[in-house]
Amino acid sequence: MSAVELIFIPIILSIVLSFFVRGNSSISKYIAIALFIYLLDFSLSLFSSLPSSGYLNLGSYLNVKEFDFILTLQVDKLSVIMLVLTSLLLILVSLSSWTMKNQAMYFNLLIAFSGAIFGVFLSTNLLWFFIFWELTLVPMYFLVGIWGSDRRIYAAVKFFLYTHVASMFILLAFFLIYKESGSFDISVIKEVTLASPVLIWWLLFIGFAVKIPIFPFHTWLPDAHVQAPAPISVLLAGVLLKMGAYAMIRMVILLLPETSQQYAWVILALGVITLFYAGFMAIYETHLKKMVAYSSISHMGLVVIAISTISYAGLSSAVYEMLGHAFIISPLFLIAGFIHHKTGSWYMKDMGGIMQRAPYLSAIFILAGLGALGLPGTMGFVGELSILISAIKAYSLWIVFIALGSMVAAGYIIWTFRRVVYAQMSDIVEKTDFKMNPIEFLALIIFSILIIIFGLFPSLLFDVINPAFEQYKFLGGAL
Amino acid sequence: MISAFVILFFAALMSIALHRSVFLKPFALLALGIASFYTLNSVGVFLHGFELNSSISLFELILEIVLVALVLHEDEDITITQTLFLGAASILLLESSTLLSFVISFEALSIISIVLVSYIKTKEQAEGAIKMFIAAALATGILFLGVMFYVIGGGDLLKPISSSVTIFQKIGLFLMLAGVFYKLTVVPFHAWAADTYALVRHSHAAILTGVAKTVVAISAFNFFDSFLALELNLSVTLLAIVAVLTMTLGNFLALFQKNLAKILSYSSIAHAGYMMIAFMAVESQYAKDGILYISIAYIFMQTAAFLALDTMKKQYDISTLEDLKGFSKQNITLSFFFTIQLFSLAGIPLLAGFLGKAVVFYAGVDAGLWYVVLFALLNSALSVGYYAWIIKTIYFDKLEVKERFNEGSLVTVAQFILFIGTIYFGVYAGDIF
Repeated sequence: MSAVELIFIPIILSIVLSFFVRGNSSISKYIAIALFIYLLDFSLSLFSSLPSSGYLNLGSYLNVKEFDFILTLQVDKLSVIMLVLTSLLLILVSLSSWTMKNQAMYFNLLIAFSGAIFGVFLSTNLLWFFIFWELTLVPMYFLVGIWGSDRRIYAAVKFFLYTHVASMFILLAFFLIYKESGSFDISVIKEVTLASPVLIWWLLFIGFAVKIPIFPFHTWLPDAHVQAPAPISVLLAGVLLKMGAYAMIRMVILLLPETSQQYAWVILALGVITLFYAGFMAIYETHLKKMVAYSSISHMGLVVIAISTISYAGLSSAVYEMLGHAFIISPLFLIAGFIHHKTGSWYMKDMGGIMQRAPYLSAIFILAGLGALGLPGTMGFVGELSILISAIKAYSLWIVFIALGSMVAAGYIIWTFRRVVYAQMSDIVEKTDFKMNPIEFLALIIFSILIIIFGLFPSLLFDVINPAFEQYKFLGGAL
Repeated sequence: MISAFVILFFAALMSIALHRSVFLKPFALLALGIASFYTLNSVGVFLHGFELNSSISLFELILEIVLVALVLHEDEDITITQTLFLGAASILLLESSTLLSFVISFEALSIISIVLVSYIKTKEQAEGAIKMFIAAALATGILFLGVMFYVIGGGDLLKPISSSVTIFQKIGLFLMLAGVFYKLTVVPFHAWAADTYALVRHSHAAILTGVAKTVVAISAFNFFDSFLALELNLSVTLLAIVAVLTMTLGNFLALFQKNLAKILSYSSIAHAGYMMIAFMAVESQYAKDGILYISIAYIFMQTAAFLALDTMKKQYDISTLEDLKGFSKQNITLSFFFTIQLFSLAGIPLLAGFLGKAVVFYAGVDAGLWYVVLFALLNSALSVGYYAWIIKTIYFDKLEVKERFNEGSLVTVAQFILFIGTIYFGVYAGDIF
């Protein structure tokens, strides 16, 4: 399949399937897995054909010159990394949804989502980028609203509305960019000096800040995360938030580097607030999944701090941390969801002593938790260290206090271990049978392997990520 | 021009003879088919006061396609005849280029709409029809007052609006705009619309909001754009206030409605507000494309939404959000079409509603009105609230009744035609520009 077919065939396929495959039929599931494996293969194959700098052109379609409304598909290293991450996560999410109820529609929606999200990372025309950006909301709305827990409808509508309002700022910014540059294409806009960069910068920043999410625009996420079914929380944390960070790097930092430098302090300040605020909220939470959700936001704060350095090293480490965050937070969400599914409770006081009943599960939980607090040997450590170094390079030594964020993380993670994994066995846990579907367990094992491999051998990833920013060495600060 | 109008007009006359026969629908469809064939193959001036350019002929073609869907959906003979009449009047209005032809065809359309809704069966329909009648009479009065001022000021009825206007002509033209805005349901001339659209039969409301409104919007834009460009300072201020009021009011009132038809009526008012942005942005070269695009998107989605509502009302007795609970389990096909059209109304991408709004809003930005556009964008985001709530009711809520009916296959075909239109213009914009 060509790139454009990769976007549209899943969308059409999911609509067609929704008329023929109903209820608990698993046909969609197998189609979805086959499709996602193909997507992963396709994304990996793009690496070899990428030019050393600039974009690889994958064709342009639906040409409407008068409005510069052209579906231009181009990838560079950054977008290919995101494509690989997305398709990998989609496979793992499918595996961990193996026993989902009402499967046919669930996987149909996942298939539609895959098309839209590929559109986001493939298109360099801003208008088409926006179209796919918004389109990802629709399957997500249904996935949260139908398969979520008790307050799913509230969470789904809030998620849809909140992020949609934010997108309106983005669209306005894109319109202003088009007016001032005469083009919607990123590669053209980069060469043009815009007339009102400050206005555009703020509109874009607010729009993308909601998606990442940056304090004070984060309030939709805890609700969505908690109410969504666990695999969808993984998609939210692993793909949707990354979409925000990707767009922040691509559209804000790289498109408007001077203005970004001017307002780097805003990004930094909000990033630091996000890191600590979400961290302290996580300490306060006794709701297991909410704790994980705040921990996820807190880690995105680190990514934002890395982005705020606007340096070669900072962007590289931001991307590394994005991948690390995806692999570390995902198993935490899956396990939290699984425990709730089995025990019927979200609260830590009911979960004591899981270690004795489900040792393997607890081991993975501990591993991912240690990754989240940045234990050496996991991806978390490398991510936090490289962000710290790049921040010190950019802002001098006073910034070192962000390392305290890691201590806050240690606070909530270790306390959670105490309350959930090791504490006295609660009655509920005693009565529960923690048997997990082997395929769902396989997904967790893959996550753990990824956390350790890339933690021990970070160069495997950095060798891929660094070249993505090679052309931005002018921003300064090599790692 | 003349050919499509003549065909539709005489087909409408002849269709009266075919009432109560099975041939009525095929005959109407045939007439629409021939008319669209002639629409495709005729561009130029045919008669003094009427001319057809390529963008209007595109819209006429789409109008005829939508009329096909309306005829397919309809099961009342009298409405089919009136649909054809309305199509003929619409074509006349779309092509009018002088003041006289504009006023005459505007009134023709207005009268046919009144006749359409005055086929009354219930008390509610009577209320809706009366409200519409009074509003239309008032609009006519204001329009003719404007014409009078225009003529007193030395205007020529047989020519398009000239590039230099006297103060009397200016007053006259603004009054005429007010008359037109009655039909477009722009605040403060909107009050009748919410009731009429919600109270008359839904298939009639589909024609009124979907077809008549877009036709008026496009022809009024084509007719008044040169004048608005002339009076930019005044018109932009005035229209900006009107537009922001219209969309904000429409959306906020829609948020609090429980009746589905009311929600769609208020959303129709809100859309009039979005269309106003094109009237403000006449300077921009995109304004014309914008009003054309949003009208094309709107004619598909609003007609389809009201037709879906008509089917729901007739076969499932659904009129409020409460009744709609779990509808997806009752009729998955209609739910799907309805949902897609609602997403389109909400401005979700890959559907015509998004691109329509996008082009109009871009025209606003292009004319330097980005703050009005910001308002419009936030409004559009707000509107997702009630559309998403309807969709939530359809898909997420539990079904309480277990009855299941099947609507006629023609109804599904009609929905399918409109669905294809929404999708096509959501992906491919090449025809518009």
